Amino acid sequence: MARSKDTVTGSGSVSTGAVPNDWRDRLRRFSKSDVVRSFPYWFIPFSIMGLGVYGGIGWNTLISFTDYEGFRERPDITNLDLDMYIQALQDPAVIVTTKNTFILMIVFTTVTMALGLFLAILLDREIRYKEKIQTIYLLPMALSFVVTAQFWLWMYNVNNGLVNVVLGVFGLGPYNWIGSPDLVLWAVIFALVWQFSGYAMVVFLAGLQSLPDDQFEAARVDGASAFKTYWRVIIPQLKSSSVSAAVILLIFALKAFTFLYSMFGQYRVPQATDILATLMVREAFQLQNWAYAAAIASILLVMSLAIIAPYLHYQHKQGSL
Amino acid sequence: MANLSLRDATKTFDDDGDEIIAVDELNLEIEDGEFLVLVGPSGCGKSTTLRMVAGLETPTSGSINIGDEPIHHQTPQERDIAMVFQSYALYPHMTVYENMAFGLEESSDLSDEETEEQVNTAAEMLGITDLLGRKPGELSGGQQQRVALGRAIVRDPKVFLLDEPLANLDAKLRAEMRTELQQLQEDLGTTTIYVTHDQTEAMTMSDRIAILDGGMLQQVGTPMECYHEPANLFVAGFIGEPSMNFFDVTRADDVLVGDGFEYPLSEEMSASIDGTTELVLGIRPENVGIVERSSGPTVFPGVVDVIEPHGNENAVHLRFAESSTDETFTSTVDGMRHLTGGQQVGVSFPEDAVYLFDTATGDALRHRVVEDIEEVQEIGTR
Repeated sequence: MARSKDTVTGSGSVSTGAVPNDWRDRLRRFSKSDVVRSFPYWFIPFSIMGLGVYGGIGWNTLISFTDYEGFRERPDITNLDLDMYIQALQDPAVIVTTKNTFILMIVFTTVTMALGLFLAILLDREIRYKEKIQTIYLLPMALSFVVTAQFWLWMYNVNNGLVNVVLGVFGLGPYNWIGSPDLVLWAVIFALVWQFSGYAMVVFLAGLQSLPDDQFEAARVDGASAFKTYWRVIIPQLKSSSVSAAVILLIFALKAFTFLYSMFGQYRVPQATDILATLMVREAFQLQNWAYAAAIASILLVMSLAIIAPYLHYQHKQGSL
Repeated sequence: MANLSLRDATKTFDDDGDEIIAVDELNLEIEDGEFLVLVGPSGCGKSTTLRMVAGLETPTSGSINIGDEPIHHQTPQERDIAMVFQSYALYPHMTVYENMAFGLEESSDLSDEETEEQVNTAAEMLGITDLLGRKPGELSGGQQQRVALGRAIVRDPKVFLLDEPLANLDAKLRAEMRTELQQLQEDLGTTTIYVTHDQTEAMTMSDRIAILDGGMLQQVGTPMECYHEPANLFVAGFIGEPSMNFFDVTRADDVLVGDGFEYPLSEEMSASIDGTTELVLGIRPENVGIVERSSGPTVFPGVVDVIEPHGNENAVHLRFAESSTDETFTSTVDGMRHLTGGQQVGVSFPEDAVYLFDTATGDALRHRVVEDIEEVQEIGTR
């Protein structure tokens, strides 16, 4: 209060020099504002993040408009065109990998969510040793892709892998999980489901436990069976958990490169498991087709955004964004 | 519609090896079409009792019957009951119509048209037809309460169970809903158990009240019986607002000696207390008269402490002039009567209005004299 009073008398006494005084006053107030005073704290992290992420995206997009390849010269940014995108859309490799990416995304996400929901419902039904079981299921999530990929590679070994040994007991197999183009994608999806279903379970379990008991009780008194209670009353209320789990899983599916690279130990993965991410890395770091790889990266980014956008829209509609 | 009976219904919970008795050998008969209110303080076992009837808890021992059919082994789905929860427990993702239709769809084989008709009838009865298309989140507390009631009514069950349905409403709406619920139950004629901790609701709504404390049934009776003839100290203190005044007294020949007063025993009184010497004297605030000092043998010197005006009446907190402590007791007097703090008055305990309880057991030994309780009941019941 005291300061505002000062300002009023100050501007009143200097009748001729009102403009510079006003300018100084504004500058002084600006220098005292929260934005300016907190500048050293937000600017550094903001600029590092901005340069690393958005600068990277911008640079990648710029490169994708050039014809840059090899190490000989710098990219020529004077001549920008959409050649790389046109080439990508006509490339059979891009079409096959996009198809594989979609299969991986949809099958992996659906199965993982269904399994996670099923496990969460089992655990939610007042089971003993719940915490321990929860930890056991969540544990694969804590393992590195490199570890799990190697581990499943051995599990899938055609001669003495555990999967074939177990199936052999029932007189099945042996199957060439990794070698057969028909099986390899499903084998990879199964391994990824194994790793991520615990995560989906934890998300759903949190959702289930946030529902009040009386929802279950009201449905029981209303005459609904256990299955109908879950199907009609409980699962529809898990919408926000489902959406967040689905988004995370879809994103993981898009960047399954790490898993595939670790499993097969090279850029060239079996064609049946070749996804956009592996194709992009191969084009860039094996063949040095920088511009072409950048174009594929941009396509991948647009796909990710297309997945995220409805989620953000949903969050916004719920008022939590 | 049917009568409901609980026989020796007991529920114990296991708490790390300790057995906690929530409901202890409860016996209750609820007549067809009766409105019974289960009342008691928190943790008295009233909600557990209701949940046993609903099938959400299984009785540890004893039986529960609807008509002649034992139902305590049935799942909630198999029992023809409907329940209104304190939190309403509406399904947030369904519209009001879907909420009300859900029970019918799950528990009956009605066609869609019949379901729609029943939902519409129930909605009309409660005046919520306009709300059928909305989601519970868009409704006010009172409207949600109506939907919760509608969800129960639409099923036309044998028994209604209501678990503190008015607890989340504001005072004015609660009073309105009390009347409306009572009217509704009368129109439907469905056997109803209503759980509350609020003795006003119990008094005003019920055909009969069952008072529980510590898992044990204290008394079952009409509101008038429970008010005028409480079975023990607990019921006497629980029913009535403001609650009954209690004084610890010791019998010495033909007087009861209390802190600050000596109450002369009549022949009729000494006969009723028999040989008991340690007693509790009870008197309801409306029976404590404020009069001139020393105007009779049952008038004692008192001092006015605090006055709480309620408009039509004043709650006056008093002390005995000769008391050794600061303990106060309450009298309700006419609102127009003028009293001031510190005023010296006479406090009258008319003999007809005095209750006596055995300190050791809490049992009532003498009730106030009511001319004819049957006659009072005629007015009291509806």
